[in-house]
Amino acid sequence: MLEAKDLMVFYENMLALNNISIKCDDNQIVGVFGANSAGKSTLMYALSGIMLDIQKKEDMAGGERITLTGDVLLQNRSIMDMKPSLRAKAGIILCPERRRLFKESSVLENLRIGGYLATRAEAKQTMEYVMEVFPALIKLKKRLGGFLSGGEQQMVAIGRALMAQPKILLLDEPLLGLSPFMQSTLIRGIKVIQEERNISVIISEQYARPVFPIVDYAYILENGAAVMEGTREELMDNPDVKAAYFGVS
Amino acid sequence: MEILVYGTINSVSLALMGLGFAMVYGISRVPNFAHGALYIICGFVTWTLFQIVGLSYFVAIILSLCVNGILGMSMYRFVLIRVRGMSISEIIASYAIGLVILEGLRFGGFRGMTYTLPVFMEGSLMIGGVPVDYHRVVMTIIGVALVAGLWVFTHYTRIGLALQGMAQDERAAMMLGIDSDFMAMVAMGFGAVLAGVAAILILPLGNIVVESGYHVLIMSIAVCIVGGLGSWMGAFFAAFIIGYAQILTVVYIGSHFQMVVAILAIILTLILKPSGLFGQQKELEERV
Ligand SMILES: Nc1ncnc2c1ncn2[C@@H]1O[C@H](COP(=O)(O)OP(=O)(O)O)[C@@H](O)[C@H]1O
Ligand SMILES: [Mg+2]
Repeated sequence: MLEAKDLMVFYENMLALNNISIKCDDNQIVGVFGANSAGKSTLMYALSGIMLDIQKKEDMAGGERITLTGDVLLQNRSIMDMKPSLRAKAGIILCPERRRLFKESSVLENLRIGGYLATRAEAKQTMEYVMEVFPALIKLKKRLGGFLSGGEQQMVAIGRALMAQPKILLLDEPLLGLSPFMQSTLIRGIKVIQEERNISVIISEQYARPVFPIVDYAYILENGAAVMEGTREELMDNPDVKAAYFGVS
Repeated sequence: MEILVYGTINSVSLALMGLGFAMVYGISRVPNFAHGALYIICGFVTWTLFQIVGLSYFVAIILSLCVNGILGMSMYRFVLIRVRGMSISEIIASYAIGLVILEGLRFGGFRGMTYTLPVFMEGSLMIGGVPVDYHRVVMTIIGVALVAGLWVFTHYTRIGLALQGMAQDERAAMMLGIDSDFMAMVAMGFGAVLAGVAAILILPLGNIVVESGYHVLIMSIAVCIVGGLGSWMGAFFAAFIIGYAQILTVVYIGSHFQMVVAILAIILTLILKPSGLFGQQKELEERV
């Protein structure tokens, strides 16, 4: 349903995404793996439209020139010129790198702000659902976003994104800086959410190992280019991938 | 006792003046230098609708608040949207709009004669042995109620919560479907209405003169800087500090030092704690 075709992004003259084509079908979990500065966040921003805002602000402030070429398609219609708020309305919700919670608002308020696009009934139902998937949040409802641990913050960030009623959830490095235990809790949560809410998920990570068990299809980025792609099984059987991304040979 | 009563009244009126400015800045990061002009134009519009057109006072107030809201929103939609994010241009553009309004009013003939708005209630009462007229009491109550209402609005309504999200992290709000330009326009409309409410509550205590537009702007900036730019609750508390300080100076030093107090408060804050009393955001960032 969401597709990028020959996507290129330049920051001034620096090529951050090099001719990327990726695809995420209905009810699929797609992984995007790559080392630091491989272009994962740039891809997420291009898909969610945030890149247009970055581009506009840079342009206004007389900063760097950002160029995008290629196409982003949602249900086979180009959304390249659609601004982020409209893409969100169409169901593309980005849960950004470093979570970006509203630090001065409580957990409950963070979730309610997330429910901006939801109807009253949807918001109420989703709120209950979030507490069901991440029961750790029940005790933290009143706590300010700025005073949560990394794992708690990530749960709120995912919950907040769910409140916006996504059809495609984009998760940019959701496991960054979390303990292995918290990582597996979140990964299980993400799989449950994908199945129960019938949504698609695109998830980016530096290390493939913790996420790999739940992805249906994955891309491997290096310096802005997709150097490899395939289903979980295909990639798992590939010796190069094993060596580079699982630390075994 | 006198200091307590008049200090409170003065503080609430300062809070009323600054609230709109603080809110607009907090949400859209646009310093609206036309704030004082929006305040004064609401006074003149109400006066015109009431005295010239002959509407009832209540209807005149409602209509002029609507006019202010529309004015605020148009200011954003047609002018400030183009310079958003460039602070200096925002200041110049909004100040220019303010000047056009204020000097336009002066040019248009709103000078010389005395223009006054009626008070809500005649008469006065004694509070702890200090005589206070009813209008000041009403103003204080409405002022406090307005702050409480604003708090409820920003914490419990869909638009209010979205405005809060925008104020804290514009781009994160965008990812959730909140349209930044639309929200900034709403905020500007709200700010203009708040300036109008302040005008209708405060102006009946004196004459409507174009100059007070500049005065209101300076006081708004003062409470916002002391309170911490971007925190409208901070602005509310700062209004009390400056408000009492002003009354103390009036009582012990002399009434023409009032303005000096405000300017001094700005300078002291900028030297001692540039993020202001409630520069929360910074502190939180440092802790995390
Ligand atoms: N705003 C920007 N201006 C210039 N270069 C940038 C900007 N954002 C990212 N880059 C560069 O683009 C490349 C890809 O970055 P990014 O998408 O953030 O990678 P990742 O998320 O995989 O770590 C990096 O080399 C990074 O330095
Ligand atoms: Mg990144």
